[in-house]
Amino acid sequence: MLIENMKMALAALRANKLRSFLTMLGIIIGIGSVIAITSIGDTMRRMFADIYKDIGVTQGYLYIGYWVEDVRDSDYFTMEELETYKELFPGELAYVDAGASLSGTVETKLQKKKFNFTGIDYNYIDVQPVTVKYGRYLRESDVLARKPNCVMEASAAKELYGTENAVGRTFRIDVYGTMTEFNVVGVYEKEMSAFQRLMMGSNSGTGEALIPWTLLTWPNDSIYQCHYFADPSMDEQQLKDFNQRFQAYVAGTKGRNPEDFYLVSAQSEMGQVDTMLGGISAAVGGIAAISLLVGGIGIMNIMLVSVTERTREIGTRKALGATTGDIMIQFLTESAVLSAVGGIIGVTLATALVSAGGAAFSLPVVIRPSVVLLAVGFSALVGIFFGIYPARKAADRDPIIALRYE
Amino acid sequence: MIRLPGKRKETAVPADTGGRESEELIRLENLVKIYDTGALRVLGLNKINLTIRRGEFVAIMGHSGSGKSTLMNILGCLDRPTLGQYYLEGQDVAGLKPDELSAIRNRKIGFVFQSFNLISRMSVEKNVEVPMTYARVKPAERKRRALRLLEQVGLLSRVSHEPNELSGGQRQRVAIARALANDPPLLLADEPTGNLDSQASVEIMELFARLHESGVTVVVVTHEDNIAAYTHRIITFQDGRILSDRQNEHPTPVSSQQGLLHRLT
Ligand SMILES: Nc1ncnc2c1ncn2[C@@H]1O[C@H](COP(=O)(O)OP(=O)(O)O)[C@@H](O)[C@H]1O
Ligand SMILES: [Mg+2]
Repeated sequence: MLIENMKMALAALRANKLRSFLTMLGIIIGIGSVIAITSIGDTMRRMFADIYKDIGVTQGYLYIGYWVEDVRDSDYFTMEELETYKELFPGELAYVDAGASLSGTVETKLQKKKFNFTGIDYNYIDVQPVTVKYGRYLRESDVLARKPNCVMEASAAKELYGTENAVGRTFRIDVYGTMTEFNVVGVYEKEMSAFQRLMMGSNSGTGEALIPWTLLTWPNDSIYQCHYFADPSMDEQQLKDFNQRFQAYVAGTKGRNPEDFYLVSAQSEMGQVDTMLGGISAAVGGIAAISLLVGGIGIMNIMLVSVTERTREIGTRKALGATTGDIMIQFLTESAVLSAVGGIIGVTLATALVSAGGAAFSLPVVIRPSVVLLAVGFSALVGIFFGIYPARKAADRDPIIALRYE
Repeated sequence: MIRLPGKRKETAVPADTGGRESEELIRLENLVKIYDTGALRVLGLNKINLTIRRGEFVAIMGHSGSGKSTLMNILGCLDRPTLGQYYLEGQDVAGLKPDELSAIRNRKIGFVFQSFNLISRMSVEKNVEVPMTYARVKPAERKRRALRLLEQVGLLSRVSHEPNELSGGQRQRVAIARALANDPPLLLADEPTGNLDSQASVEIMELFARLHESGVTVVVVTHEDNIAAYTHRIITFQDGRILSDRQNEHPTPVSSQQGLLHRLT
């Protein structure tokens, strides 16, 4: 019976193609925009999650707030302080450095290339894993002795020296006013996600290299900020909790209130991205809701027309034994099918559009099957809801009056 | 073979041929129908008393506006009487609720209309299946039965056509097959030949005559004498009353051409 009704509904839809299409337009737009925006949102969320995973989700920077007016010397950090933090939060604070980096241009016979030198501790590799391809990573002794040693990223090394194996090469750069000769002690390779590779397109001109952070504590070893990684195994709540405790502790040791110190954490940045995406979703969701409402009213209208057009059919069916329920179900099925087909068209269009967009930016697009199913199911529900009144009208027809209808 | 209920087999010999008194199928007692159109009240039927037995073949005649359709609609449980009793197979149906009336129409009554009332955009076969759908008959059985019925009305070659591809006579034969779908004891036809030419009219009446021979009770409204002549009892209405009710001793014989309904007997 239900299958019969669905076949009939599809036949009716096919018999009035243009009218059906126009009726479905609201549903198509509504469902299409829901699918498009969830897909775009999911894709962006995935992209940011990947990026933050690359840069480390547990990462944070802590420094005296820019709004604090009476900044004291003690608001800055000393190397000793940074060392003690690690001991005070064992198992929680995985890594600490001064968060300092240096830009400079390296010149060889082959190339002149801009570089970004990141000042790191020897165990940076634990929180930002890379593969050492040639030579070695920085050692604790390099850091403690402030040796001008450097581990260079493979593609930059290749550009600079014509070979990835740049171990043993040297170059000179200006470190806070002093020309310093650096030795390349190792070459590393970094795995990148599709998203990162996409982002790299813009700053591929700059080479990457790692040097001891102890070289970048100018002036007077007074350090502006504490750059740290909490233990990567922490979950969201643990991390949030740790960030707060750490901020409060550091501020406390410096005779400050926690809010006087500014904490930039990857976690809170990610939260902002989510909030932004949520805002976009809500706006588009509102548009979608209005389209669905308009679409639903369109379906109600066309069903009322259909019920009137088919008054004699209704009378005939009743004369042949259809009950109120039989007629009701027939018309509800018809409006549900009409609306669901609209939903399917909307999903198809949105998927095609989003995929085309993804292909253009060579981004892997995320389309959740559960969202698609939900959307089609919801459109059928819209059809049923707005079909109730017309179906009721059809079902309550008196057979004798319906049969007399011209 | 279409299975006919045992009761009806017994009464396959029409009552007026001298067989034993057969059982009542329809009894109307002081039946009144008043149409209330606001300002005006029209008396559609005025105290009708009427009994029709199983296996009868009845013509209802009368001028336009004499109450024939009013009677048929009430007999067909499409409409309800204002006053009086209507017993169908002994059951008082005057006070039933709409969905109960739907069930009666579905199982006990086959209705044939002047304007065919086939459902467009639906194949001939599907049209015949409609009453069986509402009787919740399984699809395979529906199809089997629909094809059998269409064979009996001589339309096996048209099963997948749509109604608008058929002639009037063919459409009315589809409607008759549909009316017989749930094997009802009563077949009602309100001017079934009103929209047909004389050749098609003869075919339809012969079909009714054969159905009657097979045991179905048939009531046909007509205002044409040659159509009524096929029946065995002719009731004439005037102004909502029965003017005369007589047996037709010499019904028009059905031509011996074989074909229609030969399998039914
Ligand atoms: N729905 C209706 N409303 C008001 N009057 C009606 C209605 N149907 C029939 N009538 C009246 O009832 C009388 C009998 O009509 P009807 O049974 O249709 O006659 P017939 O079928 O014999 O031509 C007529 O006077 C007709 O005008
Ligand atoms: Mg009439």
